[in-house]
Amino acid sequence: MTGIHDLGGSPGANPIDKSQHETKDWERLADAVTVALDKKGIKTTDEHRRAIESLDPERYRELGYYERWIAATELLLVEKGILTREEIDQKAAEIEESWG
Amino acid sequence: MTTAKFEPGERVRVRAVRQPGHVRTPNYVRGQTGRIERFLGAFKNPESLAYGGSGLPEKPLYKVGFRQTDLWDGYAGRTQDTLYVDLYEHWLEPARKEAR
Amino acid sequence: MSGTHHDLEEHGHNGVKPSAEAWRYAARIRAIEALLVEKGVLTKEDVRRQIEYMESRSPASGARLVARAWVDPGFKALLLSDTKAAALELGIDASGPVEFVTVENTPEVHNLIVCTLCSCYPRAILGRPPDWYKSFGYRSRAVSEPRAVMREFGLEISKDTKVAVHDSSADVRYLVLPMRPPGTEGIDEEQLADLVTRDCLIGMSVPRFEDVRASVPSPPIWS
Repeated sequence: MTGIHDLGGSPGANPIDKSQHETKDWERLADAVTVALDKKGIKTTDEHRRAIESLDPERYRELGYYERWIAATELLLVEKGILTREEIDQKAAEIEESWG
Repeated sequence: MTTAKFEPGERVRVRAVRQPGHVRTPNYVRGQTGRIERFLGAFKNPESLAYGGSGLPEKPLYKVGFRQTDLWDGYAGRTQDTLYVDLYEHWLEPARKEAR
Repeated sequence: MSGTHHDLEEHGHNGVKPSAEAWRYAARIRAIEALLVEKGVLTKEDVRRQIEYMESRSPASGARLVARAWVDPGFKALLLSDTKAAALELGIDASGPVEFVTVENTPEVHNLIVCTLCSCYPRAILGRPPDWYKSFGYRSRAVSEPRAVMREFGLEISKDTKVAVHDSSADVRYLVLPMRPPGTEGIDEEQLADLVTRDCLIGMSVPRFEDVRASVPSPPIWS
């Protein structure tokens, strides 16, 4: 077994979910920040994939697509010493509070 | 300039190794034998890039075709159905001899 | 055969839609953006430009490539040998480290694209992929039971046609060049492009043409 992400051929008899959810602004933002960091040479697509693959399997299963991206981007920014988890926690708390 | 070791049409076997960390060789083809469809060019090694490495030297990449009936027990479809996977040269070795 | 993962979708989560924690992640990415801008790592302009870039990408670009290939054999040859160059000729900028390859549907072969390991997709040409393409279910089953999956989408491939699935496992992104439907000889390039949906470019559908002119009365004959 190589990893939770290595899905080709996994058993599962459920029909493919064909529904399309409406892309949220924060998902667009996650996409843009991730790719902008890539274009600036701060991280690579390969690091991004590796970070997603390193997520706890339970988390990988439960999170939505862009939530995994956000978790991976955070992981890499902290790993590279660009941001700390504490300052992200603090800023996120401020933002959540401002939402009421 | 990177030269390609394998020729289109050549039978190759995917190394059946467990390599920890980020790799782009899906589990379902490891240990399987397929045929080189075409040489796709040389690319920086994702296994190195994923950890902040330079990815150099570039690795040759091939499109390798596998018979679906070889990959999956009870495959429901035509025996000509083929699965193509893009695989790096260092994951491929010449297949021993013609089994068929 | 990989049989070690239990069904990831057993709880009805397709692996794509925001989870119950969405609000937390929404706050988190806004926090990350704010901090990165504060520290001068990114500018708001960098982010805005990237959002605009993605919004400007759409399946219509892929449809234009196909329609041009249908009417111009020279362009078709270019599309099949150097997709990036073909895109550029139509003003579609797909530059970057990723390579693009276009695979052609024929009466003998029908192509289907997937990325089992993550969900790589020709975003620089087509924009974002549909949710189903990114779903755990599609990533799991497109490689092992492509005909059943296509059938779920209403596409039945003849037993006389080989199904070729392409797993985009490395730095190449794939587009499908579908076959031009019969009866379209009289319609122009723009109308041809309208027949090519996003799903046709992935291999999950084929362009269909209903000649509505057949229902229009024949013009009068002038002697």
